[in-house]
Amino acid sequence: VNTLSARPATAVPLDRVLGDPWHTDNPLGYAAVLAADERGEMLAEGERLLTRFGLNAEFVPGEYDGRFVRADRLADTLRALWRRDPCLGLGYGLSSLIASMNVWTCGAESQRRWVARLLLNGGRVAAAFHELDHGNDLGSAECFAHPSSTGWLVTGRKEVVANLHRAEAMVLFARTGSKGGSRGHTQFLVERASLPAGRVSDLPRIHSSGMRGVQLDGMRFEDCPVPAQALLGQVGQGMEIVLRSYLVTRSVVPAVIIGPLDTALRLTLDYALDRQLYRGAVADIPYVRTVIARAFADLLAADALSSVTVRGLHLVPETMAVYAPAAKYLVSGMVVDAFSALRSVLGTQAYLRGGRFAMFQKLARDIPPATFGHISRSACLVTILPQLPRLARTSWGRGDPANEAIFDLGGPLPVLRLDRLDPAARGDDVLAGTLNALAGSADATLEGRYAARFAETLGALRAHCLALAPRDLTINASPAAFALADRYTVVLAAASALAVWRRAGDRLPREVLLGVLDRLDGRLGGQPVLSPVEREETEGKLFALALERFRDGTSLDLSARPIFPC
Amino acid sequence: VRRAVETAEAALDAVLGDTARQEAALDQREAFPADLCARLDAFGLPAHYVPTRWGGRLDDYGRLWSLWRTVARRDLSAVVAHGKTFLGAAPVWVAGNSSQAEETAAAVLAGAPMAWALSEPEHGADLLRNSFSARPVPGGWRLDGVKWPVNNATRAGRLSVLACTDAAETARGHSLFLVDKAGLAPDSWRALPKEPTHGIRGVDISGIEFSGATVPEDAMIGPRGTGIETTLRCLQLTRTLCTALSAGAGERALRVAARFAAGRLIKERPLAERPVPLSVLARCAALLAAAEASSLVAARSIHSLTGEMSVTSAIVKPLAPTLADSVLGELAELLGVRSFLVGVYEHGAFQKLYRDHQIVSVFDGSTPVNRAALVQQFPRLVAGFESASYDAAGLAEAVGQNVFLRPPCTDSLTLASRTGSSVVQSLPVLAMELAADNGPAGLAEQAAALCADARRLTLLMAQVRPAARPAMMAYEMAAAYELCYAGAACLQVWKAQARQHSTAPLWQGGLWVRAALRELRARLAVTMRWAPPDACPGDDAIGQELGRLTVAAAANGSTITPLGTPVPMISPGSQESV
Repeated sequence: VNTLSARPATAVPLDRVLGDPWHTDNPLGYAAVLAADERGEMLAEGERLLTRFGLNAEFVPGEYDGRFVRADRLADTLRALWRRDPCLGLGYGLSSLIASMNVWTCGAESQRRWVARLLLNGGRVAAAFHELDHGNDLGSAECFAHPSSTGWLVTGRKEVVANLHRAEAMVLFARTGSKGGSRGHTQFLVERASLPAGRVSDLPRIHSSGMRGVQLDGMRFEDCPVPAQALLGQVGQGMEIVLRSYLVTRSVVPAVIIGPLDTALRLTLDYALDRQLYRGAVADIPYVRTVIARAFADLLAADALSSVTVRGLHLVPETMAVYAPAAKYLVSGMVVDAFSALRSVLGTQAYLRGGRFAMFQKLARDIPPATFGHISRSACLVTILPQLPRLARTSWGRGDPANEAIFDLGGPLPVLRLDRLDPAARGDDVLAGTLNALAGSADATLEGRYAARFAETLGALRAHCLALAPRDLTINASPAAFALADRYTVVLAAASALAVWRRAGDRLPREVLLGVLDRLDGRLGGQPVLSPVEREETEGKLFALALERFRDGTSLDLSARPIFPC
Repeated sequence: VRRAVETAEAALDAVLGDTARQEAALDQREAFPADLCARLDAFGLPAHYVPTRWGGRLDDYGRLWSLWRTVARRDLSAVVAHGKTFLGAAPVWVAGNSSQAEETAAAVLAGAPMAWALSEPEHGADLLRNSFSARPVPGGWRLDGVKWPVNNATRAGRLSVLACTDAAETARGHSLFLVDKAGLAPDSWRALPKEPTHGIRGVDISGIEFSGATVPEDAMIGPRGTGIETTLRCLQLTRTLCTALSAGAGERALRVAARFAAGRLIKERPLAERPVPLSVLARCAALLAAAEASSLVAARSIHSLTGEMSVTSAIVKPLAPTLADSVLGELAELLGVRSFLVGVYEHGAFQKLYRDHQIVSVFDGSTPVNRAALVQQFPRLVAGFESASYDAAGLAEAVGQNVFLRPPCTDSLTLASRTGSSVVQSLPVLAMELAADNGPAGLAEQAAALCADARRLTLLMAQVRPAARPAMMAYEMAAAYELCYAGAACLQVWKAQARQHSTAPLWQGGLWVRAALRELRARLAVTMRWAPPDACPGDDAIGQELGRLTVAAAANGSTITPLGTPVPMISPGSQESV
């Protein structure tokens, strides 16, 4: 009943539209992508092709004639796009998704239908939330809306908002109540054309060091009338809608940013095989092989956590207020770190904006917003902290394991219920339950020892989290408390990797799991489970597998599906 | 000595003026920082590239390091462009004859830029495999081949060029030439176009192609076949001095981020008043202090521990940019979107220096290249640590301040240190001395723990078998050895200079050195996958205190690192320009 079994993969036809990245005539190839980046423009031909492909339908729920039915499919599709060009991924893809999610979550029927039609016709919705003075601190946003006889009058500024100038619609986040209250803000769904020209003005576009094609715009409102029916949800519900809607998008983002890392790894492999140094290929240098192996292991670990997180939207909506920020925090950190490591292999080639490997520096400039965009890494930890004592009490000692479906990547999923996403996270931490169960049945194999190691870590975290002082559950928490939240995200990733691999059986390469777990173990610090020889061995297997996939033209993520040679 | 350096830095700061807006605009247009370089010329910086023997003012590599840091904390592009002249001239100082030196000195003192043409399109750091050739012809040498990418290749009138003169792929098969473009037949060479780069966008990163260019016989620098050797000896100087770029970039970033944290309100309270952002600033300040101490000690070691520079340069060249990159990464997260936007917040300084600085770990020998070079010297480092022998007099000069620094003698630069590293090998004695001292809380414990770490590390290094392609573990040991060097340098500087700095806030209670040791040992444990270090007495208090001092120093322009200098404050109100 209500099970979404089929998983029609939009990512596959999308890859066909994206075409051969190395073909110089391909309007969506690397040459075109780089040229647009140099001009600081969105790839116009790319946008046209994506519109013809109907990419926006991925963001529109099925009941409004779109294809947004499964969060994992959405993530796969966006990952394919981000693998090619994060500017299109954000400027064409993610920005409309983020804005419209508020509408799917809390909009009136007419608003949903209007936004669905707009998107299906290739239009854009901008998320007008950000103000430079307040950033992630949405509760302090100053732009305000006063009630008027016909609706509302808005005054203030929104800044660094993707597509704000050219989007046909925007979701506007404005203060409607007194300062400091949790119900002080309200969202409005506004049609740009309805705003009187004299009351709203476009501020100059702001340029950025990466994502150079994405138009980051500002807008100033002066007693700008907004009709009463623009109200999205109820007055004072603005923050609540954000917290609920963004559980979806913050879960999807980690899965998506694995795309650019996939490409960066491919470029590094290409370089290492091509370039000759010290009487051999660069790929013969053990340092190079190890850096590539570890970045690949990080990619796989990140994919395990983000895949489970995305499936969690369907399966454990009541716990996503923990899992979404955990995945966003850890995966963005791992991806950025992996880029730094790969840079050391490419050397000069990572620094040149021309030549065969120029895509690397572009991706390296595009990726940092993953750490602060949509929600910053430190804000993720601030979100997780207050939940830790409860989870430690209810779930970390003896909680139930997760429904195995969450680890069955690509498998059937129950219908996504946005209304069951719970910003207050009242659910149990079933991934901890799974980890404890795995540790309980662990044997003396290395895999079993890892299960025991991570379960021990969880046990130690439990003791610390039960003893946390009230102040340590807030933004004023000590660095040591933040470190607990950080370690917890690593444990979640390890639980995900262990369970995903076990569930997949032969479908996932067993021989590299140890390397994946070793990387996570390394993030926790302390004596490694593997001996130096064992680590060298598993890293050798990781490198060999990365090389094999690169040569076969399959993706480096868990799906290992054929893609164009990138 | 120190006072003279500080005065020179202040004078340089005054000449530079307020550069922030101009620097940002040039970067956007990818324009060469010509005006800034002209100011550096007017200040007389080129004279600091020329040894006193040849009429310049270069008699203290520590001072040159400090001056470069002063420029680097304004604009990394400017120091990369201007400083290249020193790199280009270094082979002449190290191996040239007196007429070459006189000619080069006159040109440099007159402000003429120079370049050092080492890299080739297909070979990068692999100098032995270079294919650029110089063949004897009547009256001189005929040059053929491409040098690319080369900083200043187009702007420079003179270049030091490494060319293959005998059997390819052999250590004695290459020679260096001093090439004056003015003496070449016009159609025998051409400049290759400027390469667009990720950072240092305005700098002349280009190349030069020679086809049958002839240079006179006396263009050869040093005897035939010594090109590789001279290059490696020069790199010991330049790799050491490049660390100033990381120190400068790190300082600028720390100041920008600390000002942001002080002004940014989150839930109506400044970020800088919250424990975690404060601890981030403190950690960055501590790592920067470690980078500064180790780099400055290394620069002074050119004078007094000259024979160890093959080790010292291979340690600090990867160490300083690695620490700085890590600092910049943390500060970028603290700054959030302001680490990313062009023109926003202090003219978008952060995103520019973040990009600019990423070249430092690449050029002049990348981080992996230097670590591999250190691995080759492990046996000597192991033996040196076991014997606990070190050059006490040389070390005292390197770590001191207001102490006599002997004149540099570049003839003593050798390809492999015979005595290991005096800085690291002094650790056992130093730890004992600090234990006997009535020093700051926890410092003696830190020193003893670092010494134990170093011992444990050298035992592992002893097991590394020499190999042309070392295993990853050997690279990690090299990285860990760098951290031991940094810790030892901090402790030595503290011991030598604490009395002189007794009134400076950063030095109170050993604040900076304790914070630095704590961070270095934590990194060491992560690098080696050892258990995290235990806390030492008083550890919990130092982070917040150092964080507060950092915020205060950023606000008023006072010194932000233990061996730093104040920086003139930019005009108020220019922070949030959009």
